[in-house]
Amino acid sequence: MSIEHPTRMEDFDLYALGALDDAERRAFESHVASCAECAEKVAEARGRVAILAFASPPVAPSPGVKETLMRQVIASAEGPGGSFAHAKPEPAADGGIFARWWAALLPVATAFALATVLLWLHNEQLNRQLADLRNTITQQKQELAETRHQADLIAERETMVVPLWSQKGTPESHAEGHARVLYNAKEGMMTYDGWLPSAPADKSYQLWLVPMNGAPISAGVFNPRNGEMSHMMMKLPAGVTAKEFAVSLEPVGGMPHPTGPMVLVGPIS
Amino acid sequence: MVTAEKRAELKATDASLIHRIVQRDESALAALYDRYAGMLSSVLNRILRDTQAAEEILQDIFYQLWRNAAQFDSSRGSLSGWLLVIARNRALSRLRRHNPASGDELSENTVVVASNLESSVAQQQLMSKVISALDNLPKEQRAAIELAYFEGLTHSEIAQRTGDPLGTVKTRLRSAVETLKRDLHS
Repeated sequence: MSIEHPTRMEDFDLYALGALDDAERRAFESHVASCAECAEKVAEARGRVAILAFASPPVAPSPGVKETLMRQVIASAEGPGGSFAHAKPEPAADGGIFARWWAALLPVATAFALATVLLWLHNEQLNRQLADLRNTITQQKQELAETRHQADLIAERETMVVPLWSQKGTPESHAEGHARVLYNAKEGMMTYDGWLPSAPADKSYQLWLVPMNGAPISAGVFNPRNGEMSHMMMKLPAGVTAKEFAVSLEPVGGMPHPTGPMVLVGPIS
Repeated sequence: MVTAEKRAELKATDASLIHRIVQRDESALAALYDRYAGMLSSVLNRILRDTQAAEEILQDIFYQLWRNAAQFDSSRGSLSGWLLVIARNRALSRLRRHNPASGDELSENTVVVASNLESSVAQQQLMSKVISALDNLPKEQRAAIELAYFEGLTHSEIAQRTGDPLGTVKTRLRSAVETLKRDLHS
């Protein structure tokens, strides 16, 4: 059953939000499927609703995700050039000379098929090695670009270096935590390098820029792997004068404002 | 100072990066990943509260983009909007143990986002605006919006969860979307 044009604009947003119950949703979809004007309004409503995602602070996924993705992409680009064709077997001739020939050639054909499979497997292995090498090169190029960028950032006169340390009263597990932030307020560029123990399963660390005026600005969420240094590079709004940087422990995925204990703090002298 | 290479990458439009992906340029996918992974990771983690599941979906979305980029029509909708819609849909499907969506998502889900989110500064600015708009909503309206958006609940499910009458929930959500539209898009 199709409905008339929705009379209120909010209907589109409620549909995009997924708030309509089944019957309402089906009726709405049945109309939109045959109405170009409403389909366009749905696309706009989807965009309005999509940005509610920004209610959560950005979370830096672990570097392994990008590494695996790029390896997957490179492997797919290399590919074997198509899968094995599953040839339909020819119907066997009943007896006669063909059957005798077939019987004679069977061991040769089997050996040939085996050799083909072995060669294909070897080729696959070489393809994988090649894909790994290409992936390593891509990663190294990116690391080089980031290192160059960091070197440029350090060389800038306006860049400040802010060490972050654990505070008195911090749990013992975090006492050895430390980090360094490079911050260029003019460009809004920031890098973070630091060590902290792994966060509990339901928590993430969140880095904050505390400005002279106004609420703390989230500068990224991270989950260090056990014993490893964390590295982040972020673009923040340019021209913000920072009072200090701090790292807090928050629920997984981070929070819009700091809610958990500050485990590292770096005041700007 | 930002290096020339990095600056060029930051300036490239989504449409040009998509075009390069169609030409099988892996660095274009890496640039789009750098541009949007944080934004998507945020919504995936918020919905799933499970870093591993969030990262699996994140990788899968970008791999799908790599395989099917030719289907994406930049003139019909924005990539950032599409990514956000797909990330949310997939996270909610995972939460509700639904089957993952089909590979036709690129051409099916046209999403028009009024803001250009191609720079991290624009994303930061929008984040401040959204947080402030949500902070300004009455508590019950904000809770209803968050239950719908981050938990994928319908009117009836929200009423059941909160114990409020269905009519009240419908009014709250309608008022909330109306206010948000005014505050964020006027």
